Amino acid sequence: MAEQHEHVISIRGLHNRFGKQVVHDGLELEVRRDEILAVVGGSGTGKSVLLRSILGLHGPNEGVIEVLGNRIRHLEPGPHKKWGVLFQGGALLSGLTVQENVELPIALHSDLPIETRRELAVMKIFMVGLDLTAAAKYPNELSGGMRKRASLARALSLEPKILFLDEPTAGLDPLAATEFDELISYLHANLDLTIMMITHDVDTLFNVCDRVAVLVNKGIIVDTLEGIVENPDPWIQQYFGDPRAVRARKAARPKG
Amino acid sequence: MNEYLTLEGQGGLLQVSLKNDWIFNNLNTLQETLDEIEPQPGQRVRFSCGGLKDFDLAGAWILYERSMDFEEVGIETEFEGFRATHFKFLQHIIDIAAQKEYIPGFYDRQPGHYWRNGIRKLGENTIEAVDSVGFIARAVLDGVKRPSRLVIGETIRQVHATGAAAIPIVMVICFLMGIVLAYQSARQLEQFGANIFMVDLVANSIFRELGVLLAAIMVAGRSGSAFAAALGTMKLTEEVDALRVMGLNPNQILIIPRVLGLMIALPLLTIFANAAGLLGGAFIGATVLDINWFAFTERLAFTIDVNDLLVGLTKAPVFAFLIAVTGTLRGMQVKGSADELGRLTTVAVVQSIFLIIVADAIFTVVYARIGF
Repeated sequence: MAEQHEHVISIRGLHNRFGKQVVHDGLELEVRRDEILAVVGGSGTGKSVLLRSILGLHGPNEGVIEVLGNRIRHLEPGPHKKWGVLFQGGALLSGLTVQENVELPIALHSDLPIETRRELAVMKIFMVGLDLTAAAKYPNELSGGMRKRASLARALSLEPKILFLDEPTAGLDPLAATEFDELISYLHANLDLTIMMITHDVDTLFNVCDRVAVLVNKGIIVDTLEGIVENPDPWIQQYFGDPRAVRARKAARPKG
Repeated sequence: MNEYLTLEGQGGLLQVSLKNDWIFNNLNTLQETLDEIEPQPGQRVRFSCGGLKDFDLAGAWILYERSMDFEEVGIETEFEGFRATHFKFLQHIIDIAAQKEYIPGFYDRQPGHYWRNGIRKLGENTIEAVDSVGFIARAVLDGVKRPSRLVIGETIRQVHATGAAAIPIVMVICFLMGIVLAYQSARQLEQFGANIFMVDLVANSIFRELGVLLAAIMVAGRSGSAFAAALGTMKLTEEVDALRVMGLNPNQILIIPRVLGLMIALPLLTIFANAAGLLGGAFIGATVLDINWFAFTERLAFTIDVNDLLVGLTKAPVFAFLIAVTGTLRGMQVKGSADELGRLTTVAVVQSIFLIIVADAIFTVVYARIGF
């Protein structure tokens, strides 16, 4: 019997057009429970549009998107408490401290007493490897890497089932990027999390991800890492034939 | 016995079997449920995951907290059949958390010490004021010393944005002000049967004061805020820094054109404002007060000379300078957060209107002294 997978995100027949430019033409994608799926693709292939469609921030021209059984509709409430999003620039509210940023979703979605809220927030802040000194700071006082961590803590504040990461390691130095990759692996190992990430970082791809979705020809090709590198598609061959990718593939820790 | 756990006391052991979903959503109920557990003295408490369906960090955390409470009063606790990772996590987190007691947050921002804050604020404002003067001097100097070709185009754009685009609203406001003035002065003058002097009152107050003042206040609201917001956003997105490293002086590119543009636009806008104000007065004269258009213009020519017009027009560039400098200065002071941007935009508008009124008072006194 074929391996059965539970799908937490399913996208059927997604069409996205901007004027005459077709970005997605009948895109189909299923994200399995507990996997880490990476979305890659050249610029202009609609990685961000795909993510924004799933999050209900962009209304696709056609197509059905379901997240955890909820149909996603443009700008309508989605399963807010079950997903967390790490935006590329962090998108922390600049007028609040890190602590307050993490506390905010908890305060919005529960009527827990203040101490409980605060302690939950602090727990999340420690979980992503920040300390109380950082918690008391405002986002503009933090380095890029710390800002990403803080934003990740906010994304995790409501115990989400799905975590979306938009270019998690972009703008980080290699050391910080590796640490962030490790953090993602650590969280994935310890929490019941399905992770979908957009990334350009081949190291992240080979070290962290279970499957890769490549956006080509207005559609999508999904496969395991071993499978995708054998795919005959010219763009994929070019992408994984690039010296950086080859090096990353060689250097990748064996999974498991 | 309830939704989330069952209790079973057997001599020295209290067995707590967890059921259903121990997750963030149920945290409140879970907390209450846990608080109800009261072991006998000397009993051990054993938490077991019997019928646990869903379990997350938040659930694990309050469970852990409760077990710590028990441990504190000398009751032993043990866990059975949980996913070990959850607790490894928590132990680690709580160990670090224990090292520091005070956690700053939303709810306990202290107002601080009044006196100390007041004095610090005074000092900060003084430094800021000195800084501002230097900033303005620097900007003006940059503009004069190395005029750049880029400035011209941008200045013209600013004249359009701050002047031409504001003509309709300024004219409407001044027209209405003309109507108000005509009515109010006619009410008083009627007692002496001197209705015709309404023209003197309307024309003098519009030309010398209100035309330029209303135009300036309107422009402060429209363009002063726009300057602060635009430059503030550019500061936040590092566009200002980008200009600087490209070898372009932000003063040149951003500030000089705005200041110059507004100094050109506001006098022109004042002329439109004056015309609209007169029109408002004449309209009321003709329709309500029995002063026809011809009588109005005749009286106007008699009572107004070019000096009256110049009194208004000479104020305009000064007001424009104050508005533009305040707006751009506040914009350039933005750093860090979106809140700061909002605050400084407000400050820009309030301060420029304040400065306009102060300057107007000075002008009036000086002009009265020299008989202008």
